[in-house]
Amino acid sequence: MIELLSQTSWWVPAYGLVGAVITLPWSIGLVRRTGSRPAAYLNILMTVLALIHSSLLLWAVWDAPPERLLIPWLHAPGLDIWLTLLTSRISVGGTVIITALSLLAQVFALGYMEKDWALARFFGLMGIFEAAMSGIVLSDSLFMSYALLEVLTLSTYLLVGFWYAQPLVVTAARDAFLTKRVGDLLLLMGVVTLSSIAGSLDFTHLALWAQTAQLSPLVANLLGLALLAGPVGKCAQFPLNLWLDEAMEGPNPASILRNSVVVGCGAYVLIALQPVLALSPLALTTLTVLGALTAIGASLVAIAQIDIKRALSHSTSAYLGLVFLAVGMQQDEVALLLLFVHGLAKALLFMSTGSIILTTSTQDLTEMGGLASRMPATTTAYIVGALASIGLLPLGNFMAMVEWAEAAWVVAPWLMGVLVAVNGLTAFNLVRVFGLVFWGKPQAKTRRAPEVGWLMAVPMITLMIFNLLAPFILEKFQMLPNWNDPNRGLVLVLICSSLVGCGLGAWLYLSPEKPKLVGAIATPLREVLADDFKMNRLYQFSVVFAVLLGSRLAAWFDRYIVDGLVNFVGVASIFSGETLKYTISGQSRHYLLTLFIGILLSITVLSWTLWEWSPTLHSLALRAQP
Amino acid sequence: MTTQFPWLTTLILFPLLASLAIPFLPDKYGKTVRSYALGVGLTEFTLIIYTFWKHYTLGDSGFQLVENYAWIPQIGLNWSLAVDGLSMPLVILTGLVTTLAIFASWKITYRPRLFYFLMLTMYSAQIGVFVAQDLLLFFLMWELELVPVYLLIATWGGQRRQYAATKFILYTAIASVFILVAALAMAFYGDTVTFNMQELGMKDYSLSFELLMYAAFLIAFGVKLPIFPLHTWLPDAHSEAPAPVSMILAGVLLKMAGYALIRINIEMLSNAHVYFAPVLAVLGAVSVVYASLTAFAQTNLKRRLAYSSIAHMGFVLIGISAFTELGLSGAVLQMVSHGLIAATLFFLAGVAYDRTHTLMMDEMGGMAKQMPTVFALFTAGSMASLALPGMSGFVSEISVFLGFATSDAYSTPFKVAIVSLAAIGVILSSIYLLSMLRTVFYGEENAELVSHVTLTDAQPREAFIALCLLIPIIGIGVYPKLATQTYDAKTVEVAAQVRQVLPVLAEQPLDQFKRSVIASPAIGDSKNLISAAN
Repeated sequence: MIELLSQTSWWVPAYGLVGAVITLPWSIGLVRRTGSRPAAYLNILMTVLALIHSSLLLWAVWDAPPERLLIPWLHAPGLDIWLTLLTSRISVGGTVIITALSLLAQVFALGYMEKDWALARFFGLMGIFEAAMSGIVLSDSLFMSYALLEVLTLSTYLLVGFWYAQPLVVTAARDAFLTKRVGDLLLLMGVVTLSSIAGSLDFTHLALWAQTAQLSPLVANLLGLALLAGPVGKCAQFPLNLWLDEAMEGPNPASILRNSVVVGCGAYVLIALQPVLALSPLALTTLTVLGALTAIGASLVAIAQIDIKRALSHSTSAYLGLVFLAVGMQQDEVALLLLFVHGLAKALLFMSTGSIILTTSTQDLTEMGGLASRMPATTTAYIVGALASIGLLPLGNFMAMVEWAEAAWVVAPWLMGVLVAVNGLTAFNLVRVFGLVFWGKPQAKTRRAPEVGWLMAVPMITLMIFNLLAPFILEKFQMLPNWNDPNRGLVLVLICSSLVGCGLGAWLYLSPEKPKLVGAIATPLREVLADDFKMNRLYQFSVVFAVLLGSRLAAWFDRYIVDGLVNFVGVASIFSGETLKYTISGQSRHYLLTLFIGILLSITVLSWTLWEWSPTLHSLALRAQP
Repeated sequence: MTTQFPWLTTLILFPLLASLAIPFLPDKYGKTVRSYALGVGLTEFTLIIYTFWKHYTLGDSGFQLVENYAWIPQIGLNWSLAVDGLSMPLVILTGLVTTLAIFASWKITYRPRLFYFLMLTMYSAQIGVFVAQDLLLFFLMWELELVPVYLLIATWGGQRRQYAATKFILYTAIASVFILVAALAMAFYGDTVTFNMQELGMKDYSLSFELLMYAAFLIAFGVKLPIFPLHTWLPDAHSEAPAPVSMILAGVLLKMAGYALIRINIEMLSNAHVYFAPVLAVLGAVSVVYASLTAFAQTNLKRRLAYSSIAHMGFVLIGISAFTELGLSGAVLQMVSHGLIAATLFFLAGVAYDRTHTLMMDEMGGMAKQMPTVFALFTAGSMASLALPGMSGFVSEISVFLGFATSDAYSTPFKVAIVSLAAIGVILSSIYLLSMLRTVFYGEENAELVSHVTLTDAQPREAFIALCLLIPIIGIGVYPKLATQTYDAKTVEVAAQVRQVLPVLAEQPLDQFKRSVIASPAIGDSKNLISAAN
């Protein structure tokens, strides 16, 4: 039974893919009579199967040693690429989380997308999403992970571009694809390099190889940076972060997954690559610096957003920054723990957000208010999600942050500052959003705001319960190694930072007469933050400008130099022919004379060149003799 | 083998003979002719599949289905045909793309008889190029295919068709001169006179002669492939040609050059290849980046796709210069994969053109609303073209990357430079393809466009054609062995052949040529290679 289960581990990603394929008849309009509901049901059924299968698998592998499943893929001579699946406690646990969240998000989507004509297409894309993610966590092959990261890039592109007729979606989808693609291709360069120097691309092998590998610092650094680039793009870290907030133009149920598990997949690959990254001090430093910059920067940017989804999505970047830092400290378990609890909390926050957006038909925070009494379930979900996100009550993130802090305290105490800042700023931001959305007086769009239907409420409540149970789950699965004796000082600092953040937020946004502090902050600063540190502008003036200039230059060169030469030859021959025809006099003696002079000239030229060249030719011929 | 039924001759002659009947068909409205041509195309494709299914052994690196008849003994011209792993996948590609192109030209109303006659002639000539084992016969087939293309562009093309067609014929005809002269020179070299490719490959040429021949063939095939800076005929020809002809041009004709480079330059002139390989790699990388950049600046849909073809064929060059099995295998796969992808994209561009009557992207816009199926197919084609995993373009391009990176013939900085340039090309490809999708399909509908045209979504016929091309693309992408097993044995053999001469030749002190031909970086570690070989 156990054997059978682990041999069939590749079914778990396959379910999602099958789900995506069987929705095709609906999404391309072959089946119209039934509407697109059946496609959604089939997809949900597939996800349920995947969840059941992966849960059984988790039970089976819990005490078993990790097992590998090899699938031959490219059998080119000189290189064999295997798709390797590893079933271990962690990887299978990952699939359980992914399929469970995917299931919740899909049920949620049934309600959220009820009136969308392209429901089938949406569910198909969610199937691909789920398949790619479960593939990534199960994968033990860097190559396969890379390929699946690209599939994630594609499905993000398609999901963000889901409402393709909307003007903002146009650039959002493109940016999501391009920034991730740049990261992916740099990662690919790392993969190519590794394949030529490490022999195999299996993570297990790479970890062993990295222990003994002797690389020149230059190679190690370049390799490390290239490998780093993929996760940086996928986890929306500086400087490849601009896609995540733009991606919020897509449908909300996809955002639930994107902000919880999809970004996590990039970090998962990063964790698997950590032994190789450790070869390069530069890569580890870059990892830490980027993580710290993103953690603080994105937390600040989040506060300046007035779009509810963007306000939360920037904080995703910030938390992933913390995960990056954990990987940089070589604390893989802490990183995984943080991914897990952050995923749970963020998914809940986004479900709550989805309910708000559907009910009020707006994402603008300034147009909201007073929803607390009108939408109790949504409000509760938001509060639980917010509490689970910060280090205040002993919920998920609190535990993870304490672990994080203890690890950081040993390695580099200054990192505590980052954690405190992220936690405090996030707490402030969450209270700010709460104040603007749920507190205060209702406005035009929030006046008639009934609670959402059960299709959305049930997944939301379920996830809420999971969030509340998170500490027990962690306890049960022994994911808190150092929990027995936490460092009290650090815990205190953490709680204080949350309290300060919450308090400031409450003072500014919950009190009826809002102090006008917002106006006190200089406008340029606010604009810079709201505009994501003008990251867009930065790209505009660097990469985009370079590509545009390069392409204009190339096109100009192509048109006027390369092709110009060709056309010139054509025009010149026509012109000379046209001109020469006027020399035709009709008198044979002129022809004779022309012929004679021509022959004379050619003979002179020929004999002269032959004379000049013959020694060279001669020596060439000699040389050529064996 | 000779007593066997002459399958390959049948494959070549069937469309040609069938096309002769076209003038006599009773056909008033141009509908019988198209069904007839499609029937012939399908029969031919079935024949191809049947022949290879029944009489071709996978995994055999030698020539199969060999036929050899003296045609004009006085000049030594033999009707000698054979297939091996190199030609077989390309013949299948030809069959698929050409048949679909005939199906795609369903709506041709202007002089349909001549059109289909030319299409069928071209069908024959393409297969002839891939199966000919006699250099003179190869040349004849090569030329035979030029004339229909010229006429098809000049008669059914866009507004600048005369210019494009003339440019095409001049370029390729001048290039063909190089083939002919080089072929004659090789045939008459030494004691025996022969045009048989295998015997020509056996001949013991002097190195300088080989280098000269290699250069001549490189120019000839470089025009066709095309290689920067011999490429400017292609954007004109591809953008002016009617969609079905563009499909064949990009899908099959470019591959003839890649095929010929491997068949003639590498197999017959492997000594010279060792010296030219770095040049090929540099040219390939330059083509990739240059054409990708230029593609981004194009506002004409088909011109953009045409430049993207140039960029993708650059990978073929990089692959064959790698001296590894994987690189060569990637090059062949890239030809097959790009054949399918380019045919898809050009076909879909034609579909869009049928509706909008313009190819300028800024005159389109927001078309996804009315044409969701075309949009989906276009997206799939673009994703394949920008080498997304799960599509064939990814497998071939990563094979080229890995094959080049693992090559031991080049110094590391050189490899890094080439691979990074190619990677930049891949990034650029996603930039220009996404921008294409964005301007054509995303966003609000272009009010001016919808005011004077009706955007109807893809007909079942059109969806069928695109799917016939997309399904193999995805099939190869998911399970590459589908394609690689057809030629693996052959590419291994060719790579082994060039690797054999690599250490021997790297040692020879050919200062003059080294300085002039191999600029700098390559074959640097000749000493190490020799010691490794020992």
